[in-house]
Amino acid sequence: MGTRRRNLFVLLFVLGLVGISALIIANKETKLGLDLQGGLELVYKGQPTGTTNEVSSEDIDASISIIEKRINELGVSEPEVARLGSDEITVSLPGVTDARRAEEQVGSTAQLFYYDWEPNLIGPQRAIGGRPGIQPPEGPLKASEKRWEEAGRNVNKEESKQLIFAGAYPTAYDAALLASEQEPVENCQDCSVARPRYYLFEKEEPHDLIAGPELAKKDLYVSPTGKKRPKDGIVVEVPAGTILVSEYPTNSEGQLDETAEPGWYALKDKPALSGNDITDPEQSYGPNNEPVVSFGFTDSGQQAFQEVTRAIAQRGQAQAIGPVSGEEAEALSGHFAVILDNEVKTRPIINFSENPDGIDGRTGAQISGGFKDLSEAQDLATTLQIGALPINLKLVSQTQVSATLGSEALDEGITAGLIGLALAVLFLVSYYRFLGLIASIALAAYGLIFFALIDLIPITLTLPGIAGLVLTIGVAADSNIVIFERIKEEVRAGRSMSSAIAAGYKHGISTIIDANVITLLTAFILFVLATAGVKGFAFTLGVGTIVSLLTAVVFTQALLGTMSRSRLLRSPNVLGAGGEGKQWRFDFMGASRWFFSVSGVILLIGGFALATKQLNFGIDFESGTRIKVALQQPTDEEEVRDVLEGAGIEGEEIQQVDDPNLGSNVFQIQSHQLEPGEVRKAEAVLVDEFGIVQDGFDSTSVGPTFGEQIANSAITALIFSMLVICGYVALRFEPKFAIPVLIAILHDILITAGVYSLTGKEVSSGTVAAFLTILGYSIYDTIIVFDRIRENVPRMPRAAFSQIVNRSMSEVLTRSLATSFTTLLGVLSLMVFGGPVLQDFAFAMLVGIASGTYSSIFIASPVLSAWKEREPGFIRRRLRIAEVEGGIVPAYADDIEMAKLGRDDETEAEAPQPVKEPAAEAATGAVATVERTEDSGNGSGKSASGNGDEEAAASASAERRERNAERRARRQARRKHGRR
Amino acid sequence: MALLVFFMMGLALWHFTVFIPDRFWQGIIGAFIGAVLGAVIFGWIIQEASGKSLGDTDLSTALIAIPGTAIGLAVVYAIGVRSEERAD
Repeated sequence: MGTRRRNLFVLLFVLGLVGISALIIANKETKLGLDLQGGLELVYKGQPTGTTNEVSSEDIDASISIIEKRINELGVSEPEVARLGSDEITVSLPGVTDARRAEEQVGSTAQLFYYDWEPNLIGPQRAIGGRPGIQPPEGPLKASEKRWEEAGRNVNKEESKQLIFAGAYPTAYDAALLASEQEPVENCQDCSVARPRYYLFEKEEPHDLIAGPELAKKDLYVSPTGKKRPKDGIVVEVPAGTILVSEYPTNSEGQLDETAEPGWYALKDKPALSGNDITDPEQSYGPNNEPVVSFGFTDSGQQAFQEVTRAIAQRGQAQAIGPVSGEEAEALSGHFAVILDNEVKTRPIINFSENPDGIDGRTGAQISGGFKDLSEAQDLATTLQIGALPINLKLVSQTQVSATLGSEALDEGITAGLIGLALAVLFLVSYYRFLGLIASIALAAYGLIFFALIDLIPITLTLPGIAGLVLTIGVAADSNIVIFERIKEEVRAGRSMSSAIAAGYKHGISTIIDANVITLLTAFILFVLATAGVKGFAFTLGVGTIVSLLTAVVFTQALLGTMSRSRLLRSPNVLGAGGEGKQWRFDFMGASRWFFSVSGVILLIGGFALATKQLNFGIDFESGTRIKVALQQPTDEEEVRDVLEGAGIEGEEIQQVDDPNLGSNVFQIQSHQLEPGEVRKAEAVLVDEFGIVQDGFDSTSVGPTFGEQIANSAITALIFSMLVICGYVALRFEPKFAIPVLIAILHDILITAGVYSLTGKEVSSGTVAAFLTILGYSIYDTIIVFDRIRENVPRMPRAAFSQIVNRSMSEVLTRSLATSFTTLLGVLSLMVFGGPVLQDFAFAMLVGIASGTYSSIFIASPVLSAWKEREPGFIRRRLRIAEVEGGIVPAYADDIEMAKLGRDDETEAEAPQPVKEPAAEAATGAVATVERTEDSGNGSGKSASGNGDEEAAASASAERRERNAERRARRQARRKHGRR
Repeated sequence: MALLVFFMMGLALWHFTVFIPDRFWQGIIGAFIGAVLGAVIFGWIIQEASGKSLGDTDLSTALIAIPGTAIGLAVVYAIGVRSEERAD
């Protein structure tokens, strides 16, 4: 295919893509993340249920599948359930505001068991409640009432009487003590839990329950969210074969009253059926139109159900003396208990007069009387339908984002992105003129294709994702800059427009590929290792980088190629390539020791700051709870604190913050990790006291295990990124090029750490992600310089390495500055127009770009130069140049002098080569370039040691000295007349 | 955090080795290794010996990295000088 035809094909292809992209964008909605549309994010940690000892990978997979089904039933659109690490699950529920209901629906284990109630009651409980309809014996009843009074419960209240007559204990502690006295059942196959469980109670009476049940004693002392629990509490072990359950009293309508205090029972763990024995649970209505959950049974379940209800009926029948009325039969009938996650959900009677032979399992059964409202019955039906989780899930992190804050963040992100794009276009057009226009068209195509991909894949667009998107605008523009600078160089060198364009792309492409591969590798590592929020950022960056290769390289090449012979491109001025252009003639290597000093001083200050001020880690790393709340009534920080302390929430930092979208009474509350219940309590007391504006409550809770995981993943990502970047540089260039890159990366990381320590800015997981990515991007500059060094080494076969580096730096400095500036425009736009989260990202990027650009120019290249200069070949070159230049190695290799040196080499080739040991190199410092050799007077140095033919060498040396003297004289004369 | 401080101080002080004659083993890279390892190892030993945890940092944490860096640099310099002499 000819070039013209290929260009046409590429243009049509890209234009087609742009058209399709526009259609996709118009017709498909963008999937927004929680931070942009509001919602709830829950992170659960899997723990064994008691029938197993560990959480397997299959358990997590099965749990994810069950949770997905449960969420679907919740009616949440576009939820995300994903594995996090080995034993954690993250659940994103966009638009969900009822955190309590979502938590219950998603994370409840839903272990459902059915018990024949009375025979499983133990000790005094059985004496009182074991014979329904029969007056309990006086002694146990009195003892029980006394126990209830001692526990501070009012025995005259109807709810208490109900529980006392059922045999319940007033506290979990009393029931647990009774349970702990039971004989353990070894290898219990029929039990709901085959292992002992532990409960932690307060040391002081009435020994309130602090934690439990747990399968390991140590788990009692740390809550799932990492909160420390008292070490001096009382631990009670409940052996296998016995379980501890609670039951709420029922109100006058027969519904469970969950506002009342429950009663507690120790039961023999002999369930008659389990959740696995039921089929088709669904919410329906009972005879009085109350919500119930009805279900059928499996074949084995039908039989078991019939048997157990028959046994209960027969027992009831045995209690009756002679014929009894319906009412008497009801009172004497035994109970069948439905227990979900250790809580009695319902305990209906099996009326022996109506069902003397038990209940036929084929007709199914129902759970009734225990539902506050319809939704609770629906939720239970759904939970039963989907089945029990194979593991227990403990909530370790919870983030609730209000929809108002989400849409506010989205608006800010879009504004920042558009302004960043406009600034980049403005710069490109003003600096590169026509080429800038081409780049702007490519950027527009890039924007459309990229956004269509976001909709199509679909990529959930998050705030970090928007930051990644803005960064990719910089990446796309950078690719153009690299090529355009090259084209301008070729045009100035006298090439025709079409050959300059061809040469520009040919030479620029390897640099672009190297730089983009490194960005891609970093994005990939972040995607694999980072936590959920950061994945969006990494994915966006990765996709954006690939698309930018298509639009910024392939598309612009075709566009320019098509126009290269047109009138438009006749004058170099159209490309901004008129005149000589900016010629840098700075001795980068010579000055590098001063730049090293600047870096050293900055790092020293950073080191002292880090030692004394440390880093301000956010709750992502340190764990804790952050609440942002917009109150209706005006108040101050002290009043908010008093209200929260009144609710038992202490130790918090409260700050009034400025957020015009939420009103003038916005407060940020930061505290140690609060349990989900405590967050709800905080919300409730704030509503009661001050009122909360619509969508004005936003909370994030992160437990220490989750924080630790984020920190570990950040460190792992950092180490992997460094290794991969160095490995790639070593492969593409040579191993020696990788070490300066590594040093430059470490330099960037530590300077950024120092800046964060000095400024006290918060370090969040997003900060780390932004910084890691910018690190990959910052290598861009280093790659540009190294690429030119690699190109110049064979072109300058007689120059010292420092001269090659100086030349390379001077050639690419404009490119480096232009690429950094373009990216900086996007980042500055984020800083000015983005919201708080985007500003955090932008700050990390700003520091990364500044430090990265500085280190690639003033650290990586001088280190490489200093190291390469120690190679014998470059030592020889250096000595030869110093000899010619009167002991001086000029900063830049003069072409004429190099040519003469070439002639010297030819002469030397006839004479034996002097051998120079590296150790004999004269040097005043590692990166010195303009220097005088120790014995410049005679020009021979230590290198002129005899090698067998001293006479020939001496003769050649004498000739060279003469020629050198002539050259020096000529150069001085030229300089005197103002010519170089 | 203390390890980070030691590393940072070692890296900071390494920057000033450009003013010392380049006789370090492996040149500027050898000096880098010496400075960083010296700072981290010496700092770690002192931190442990003084009974502080690696999470605790104060002004002394930064200061103890300085002799560590100097020792590391001196060792690498001595190795460099020795290998030069051997080569001669």
